[in-house]
Amino acid sequence: MNDNSDISQELLEIIERYINGSMTSQELKDFNQLLELDNEFKVKVEDIKTMLLGIEAQSLKEQLDILHKDIPKTIVKKPVDKKVKYLNFSKIAAAAAVIIAIGSIWFFSTPKNEKLYANHFKPDPGLPTTMSSTNNYDFYDAMVKYKHGDYNIAIDKWKILSEQKPENDTLNYFLGVAYMANKNTSEAIPFLERSVEAPDEFVFLNEAYYYLGLAYLKEGNVELAKKNLSLSETDASKLVLSKLTK
Amino acid sequence: MGKSINSLSQSELVYAIKSNDPNVLKFFYTENYTKIESLILKNSGSIEYAKDIYQDAFITVWTHIKNDKFVPKNDTALQGYLYKIAKNKWMDVLRSKSFKNLKSLNYETLVYIKDEKDENIDLKNNKLKIAMLAFKNLGQPCKKLLSTFYFDKKSIKDIASELKIEETTARNKKYRCMEKLRALVLASK
Repeated sequence: MNDNSDISQELLEIIERYINGSMTSQELKDFNQLLELDNEFKVKVEDIKTMLLGIEAQSLKEQLDILHKDIPKTIVKKPVDKKVKYLNFSKIAAAAAVIIAIGSIWFFSTPKNEKLYANHFKPDPGLPTTMSSTNNYDFYDAMVKYKHGDYNIAIDKWKILSEQKPENDTLNYFLGVAYMANKNTSEAIPFLERSVEAPDEFVFLNEAYYYLGLAYLKEGNVELAKKNLSLSETDASKLVLSKLTK
Repeated sequence: MGKSINSLSQSELVYAIKSNDPNVLKFFYTENYTKIESLILKNSGSIEYAKDIYQDAFITVWTHIKNDKFVPKNDTALQGYLYKIAKNKWMDVLRSKSFKNLKSLNYETLVYIKDEKDENIDLKNNKLKIAMLAFKNLGQPCKKLLSTFYFDKKSIKDIASELKIEETTARNKKYRCMEKLRALVLASK
């Protein structure tokens, strides 16, 4: 490269047009003639060509690390896979430990509540079934089943009635109690919750709170159990509550 | 691009690489790396060296394409060419005295080995290295401008409107940047 070679902007742009091939045929002819005649000029053109290539090559080089990030990781897959497996294993182990921990808390803590529930839960004796009123035939028919311990049949029959009268407090109460007698407290709770929403004169209100409290006790929700039991004025409720708060 | 990159013919690939098509460059770069990485890993190398050698080879192949040194002969010619060049580069490292005398490779020794090899490189290649280094050390605004024009192939008109300046101002800026770069190249001769 010539040290004293000043290149004007115009000349540089002409050389560039020669390099990227955007000259007219006449221009190209003249340019080639000049290259043949002037060796110094030829070197100058070559140097600029190299410089332009250098700009591009370096620009590309500086982008390669970005491109490198997009390479799919297939080679290192095996060790990574192993790692992932170990990772999964340890995750499973951790999960198992957590389950065991929770399980043992449940195992060691529930017996108290379970025992309390088992000691105190007795199905509601139900209503006397005199079948005097034909209007309520279906209701009392189910009550007969309930009293016989055929809780499934009782529930099915009451449910049909409940669909017709979803706001019937007595129906909701007995459905809840039947579900509890059938060892299905989670199904019982919504019916009992609805029955305790009944007005104050509802005859089974205290019992409804009592059974709802027991249901929550069985489900392990001590707070709600206490709350509902305290709303019941029955002796049985007070007894369970005193044992719970002991 | 109308076609998917996978279905490009070799001459289309060469043309796209020549014009620095970013999608094709990315495809060509990412597609061929793993083969070369496994070659180097199997031959006393590491992932670090694999990346280094591969990028070197990639620039070499790109330069050869630019200078019309490479003419594709079959469907995977370019991919094979890149592999061959990377392999040769790694073999040079393995064969070098510095490497044989070493018990373990580290990055400094790799650079040293490469420099040792570079002394024998032909003059033209050396000039390119000087130009690349000069451009690397150029100030950021000039670098950006020249790279956008020469590598991304954006027109002066687009560059001017992006920089919110007159076209003639942009052309003059570009000229002054080129002069700076030329000065750097001359200084490192």
